[in-house]
Amino acid sequence: MVTRRGFLKSGGIALFGVGLMGGIPPFMAQAAATEKRSRLYKGKRVLVCIFQRGAMDGLMAVTPFQDKYFKAARPDLFTGDGSIDLDGRWGLHPSMKGFGPLFRDGRLAIVHGIGSPNNTRSHFDAQDYMESGTPFNKGTTSGWLNRAVGLMGHDALTPFAAVSLTPALPRSLYGDNPSLAIANLQDFAIREQGDAAAAAAAAKTWESQYGKARSGLLQETGKESFEAIRVLQSADVRHYRPANGAVYPGSPLGSSLRQIAQLIRMEVGMEVAFTESGGWDTHFNQGTDNGIFARSAADLANSIAAFWQDLGTWQDEVTVMTMTEFGRTVRQNGTGGTDHGRGSCNFILGNGVSGGRVHGQVADLAVENLEDGRDLPVTTDFRSVFSAVADAHLLIADDRALFPGWDGAKPAVMKTPA
Amino acid sequence: MKMAALLLIAQLISGGRKVGPVEAARHRFPYRKAGLTERQAAAHLLSRFTYGARPGDVDAVMKEGLERWMDRQLGARLPDDSLDLRLQPYDALTLSNEQVQALYPRRGRVLKMAIRDGIINKDSVKADRAAYREEIRGYMAQKGYKPEQELFRQFISQKILRAAYSNNQLLEVMTDFWFNHFNVSITKNDCAEFIPAYERDVIRPNAMGKFGSLLLQTARSPAMLFYLDNFNSSGVKGVNENYAREVMELHTLGVDGGYTQQDVTQAARVLTGWTIFPMNANGRNFINRFSPGQLERRGFVHDGDFLFNPNRHDKGEKVVLGHLFPAGGGYEEGVELLDMLAHHPSTAKFISRELAVRFVSDDPPQSLVDKMARTFLEKDGDIRQVLRTMVESPEFWSPNAVQEKTKSPFELAIGAVRSLRADIRQPYPLYVWISRMGEKMYYYPAPTGFPDKGAYWINAGSLLNRMNFGLALATGQVPGVRVELGAEAQEAGIAIGSPENQRR
Repeated sequence: MVTRRGFLKSGGIALFGVGLMGGIPPFMAQAAATEKRSRLYKGKRVLVCIFQRGAMDGLMAVTPFQDKYFKAARPDLFTGDGSIDLDGRWGLHPSMKGFGPLFRDGRLAIVHGIGSPNNTRSHFDAQDYMESGTPFNKGTTSGWLNRAVGLMGHDALTPFAAVSLTPALPRSLYGDNPSLAIANLQDFAIREQGDAAAAAAAAKTWESQYGKARSGLLQETGKESFEAIRVLQSADVRHYRPANGAVYPGSPLGSSLRQIAQLIRMEVGMEVAFTESGGWDTHFNQGTDNGIFARSAADLANSIAAFWQDLGTWQDEVTVMTMTEFGRTVRQNGTGGTDHGRGSCNFILGNGVSGGRVHGQVADLAVENLEDGRDLPVTTDFRSVFSAVADAHLLIADDRALFPGWDGAKPAVMKTPA
Repeated sequence: MKMAALLLIAQLISGGRKVGPVEAARHRFPYRKAGLTERQAAAHLLSRFTYGARPGDVDAVMKEGLERWMDRQLGARLPDDSLDLRLQPYDALTLSNEQVQALYPRRGRVLKMAIRDGIINKDSVKADRAAYREEIRGYMAQKGYKPEQELFRQFISQKILRAAYSNNQLLEVMTDFWFNHFNVSITKNDCAEFIPAYERDVIRPNAMGKFGSLLLQTARSPAMLFYLDNFNSSGVKGVNENYAREVMELHTLGVDGGYTQQDVTQAARVLTGWTIFPMNANGRNFINRFSPGQLERRGFVHDGDFLFNPNRHDKGEKVVLGHLFPAGGGYEEGVELLDMLAHHPSTAKFISRELAVRFVSDDPPQSLVDKMARTFLEKDGDIRQVLRTMVESPEFWSPNAVQEKTKSPFELAIGAVRSLRADIRQPYPLYVWISRMGEKMYYYPAPTGFPDKGAYWINAGSLLNRMNFGLALATGQVPGVRVELGAEAQEAGIAIGSPENQRR
C-alpha cells in the first residue's frame, strides 16, 4: 500500500492538516496556519514547466536568419528579415519581442537542437517519453516532475508540492508524491449549483467520512483534498491582482501562469508547477510574421513575460522552462506549413540561468547535415537540459533517479551548476 | 427505496437464512467458510461481476441462486430488448470498417481531398478562418461525409448505455477488460476509425471464449495492425518490431515471461506480411486484378479486413522461444506463433493474474493465480472456465477481498446510475464527467491500457471530482441523465461521493 509522505507527522503542521473542528475559532486557526505555512515554505524554490503540445517549430521561433539553405527550403515561410537579432546568427520571431529584454538582461537562455534520442514522430509517444523522462521505455509509471519532487530534501510535503494548471493530471506529474491538477483555482471546492449551503454541508460530512475511511489511500488522499480546498478557498483567489503592472494575455496560458503566480505568493509548499500551451501543430498555413504560429508565439512570450513581471521579488525562487515533444521539418510542405521533425528549441528563464545566449550545437542546414535529409538533428538530449535546470534550481543531485537510464553530460545552461 | 440500494453498495448488510446440509452440498461457492452470509455473497458477486447492483438485484440473485446467476452471466445470452431499443438511433455503430472509412473520413483526408478537388487552396484561406471552416463543412455535406467526432460520440455513448442497461453484465465487464488488455487508442489517428468495429466484432464476441481465438482476431484486426504498426512490417522494405514486442510483453507472456530480444526480432519476422485488405480505390483495383483462386495460389490470405501479403513476408527460417519455423513458411506460421504464445505457461500465469487483479484484489494471492493458471492450461485457455475456477475458490470470497478494489471513474459513474435507476437520455455528458474524474475512455495512449489499481485513480484532484460528480448526478445537474430523488437528492449525492462508495 502506498503511503503518502510525512504530511501530518511533523507536529508543527498538525493544525494545518486537520479539519478545524472544535475549540479554535476559525479565523485564529487560519491566521496561525498561514503563519506556520509561511515559516515553513518561505523561500521555497519553484520550477515552472510549460509543455507546448503539438511540436513547436523551433526554427521559426528562433531562426538562423543568415542560413542560405534554410532560406531556400522555406520560400514562403522564411521569417529571418523581420526577426530580432539575438547574436548575429539567431533571430527571435518578431511576435516574441516580449522576450527581448529578458534575453538582453541575461535571464533568458535558449537551447537549440534540443530533443529526444528516440526518433518517434508520433505526438503521443514523444510526449509520453518526454514526460516520463524515459525515451525508450513505455512502462515507466511515474513522470519526471513527480520524481523531482521526491528527490528534493524537505521535511514535509503539502498537497501542493506539484501542481498542474490543467484539466487533467499530466503524465509529467504521475507518481507517488502528491500531485494536484487544478483546472481553475477558484473552482477547486465542493460545488452544488445554486446551493452553497448544501455544498458546505456535504463537504463537512465528507471530510468526516474520509477521516475515518478504512482504506489508507482514501483516508490520506481525502485529507489532502480537503486541505487543498481549504487553502485555496481561504486565499480569496478571485480577487488576485497581478503585481508590478503585469498584464497577462487573456489566453488559457496567461490565465494558468497568473494562477501559478498566485500559488507561489501563497507560499503553500509548491515546488513544481506545470501548464500547457497548444496550437503548435502547424501542418497547414503556418504564416510568417503574422498568422497561426505568430499568434501562438506571441502568447507564449507575453504570458511568460507577464508572469516574470508579476513575480517581482519572488523571481529568485522561480525558474521557468518550456518544452515541446519534437520540432518540425526544415523544408516547408505543400500546404503552407511544416511537418513533424526532430530537434526544436526551448526557453529557460530565471536569475540563475546562463542567459543572453543560444546554447546548443547546430550546424548549417545543408541537406547533408539534416537527420534523414529532412530534419534539424537532435544534438542536445532534453534530459541533459532538464537535469541541468533541476539540479541547479531545485538542488537535485541524483540524475540517475530523475532520468533512469541516462548519464550524459549537462550543458552549461545554468550559472552555477550543482 | 433508492437510498436502501445505495447503502447496500456501501455496506454489506449482515443477516441471511441458515443453510441445511443438503443445500450446502449443492453450493459450489465457498462463501460460508469465508464467513460471508448468502446476502453478503450475492452483493459481492454483483459488485465484482456487474457495473453495480440496482435496487432489488441482491434479492433477485439470492432468489435465483448465486451459482445459477453466475452460470447465466457466464452464458451471456440473456435477452436485451430494452437496451437494443436504446441503441437503435446510433446508426454509425452497425457500419463495417470499409463503410466507416467512406462515411467518416479523417479530418486530414478531407482537407487533402478538398484541395485536390479545388474547393480549397492555401491562399483562399489565409484571410478568413470562418469562411474556411464553412467551405469544409459545405464540401463534406456535398460529398455525404460526416465528421469523425460523430463516430466517436456514438461509440462512447453505446459503451455507457451497454454498461448501464445490459442484462449481460459480465459480458460488458469482460469486454472492457479485454479491450483494455488489448488496448488500442483513438489518440493514434491511423487506427482510430477502426476501433468501434474492433470492440464490436473482435473483442465482445470473443470475450468469454478461448483466449487463443481472441488473440488471433486482435492480431488480424485493422485497429491493432495500425496501432502497433504491423500493417507496414515487411521482410523486404523493413521489419517493424512494435507489435511483436507488445504481443509478448503485454498481450501474452508478460515482461518477465521468459522471452529475449532475439525472440522479439524473430517473431516480428514471422508476422511480416500481416496487413489490412485495402479499402481505398487504388488498393482495391490492384487486388481485384486477381481472382480469389489466383490470390490463394500465390499465398495470399484474405479474410474480411485482413490480408496476408506473401510478397511482404520474410520466408526465411526463424526460431522463437526455441521453436523452429522452417524456411518457406507463409500465413500459417504466424497463426502457429500466436497459438504457441496463447498456450504458453507464462501466458496462463500472466492472464490469470490480470483477471485476479480485476476481480479479486490489487494484490491477489499467488495460490489463487496458480489455480486459475492451471485451469487456463488444462482447458485450452477457456476464459469461462478460468473465471469459474476463480469464483469457486475460497480466496475470491475472503473478507480481505470484499470491497477491496477501487472503482474506476467509469465504474463509479455507471454504478451510481444503476443504483439510482437513472434514465440516461444523453450519454455524452456522463462521459465528460468520467473524463474529468481521470478516465478519458478509449484515449489511453499507451498499449498498456489503464492501470487497474487504486493508487492510479485516486489523488486529491480526482477525489474532489468524484465528490462533485455525486452531488451533480443526484441533484439532476448532469445533463441528459434523469434522476428523480426529490428530498433524498442531497443524501444520495453524499452517498455516491462517500469513501465506501469508491470501492467495489
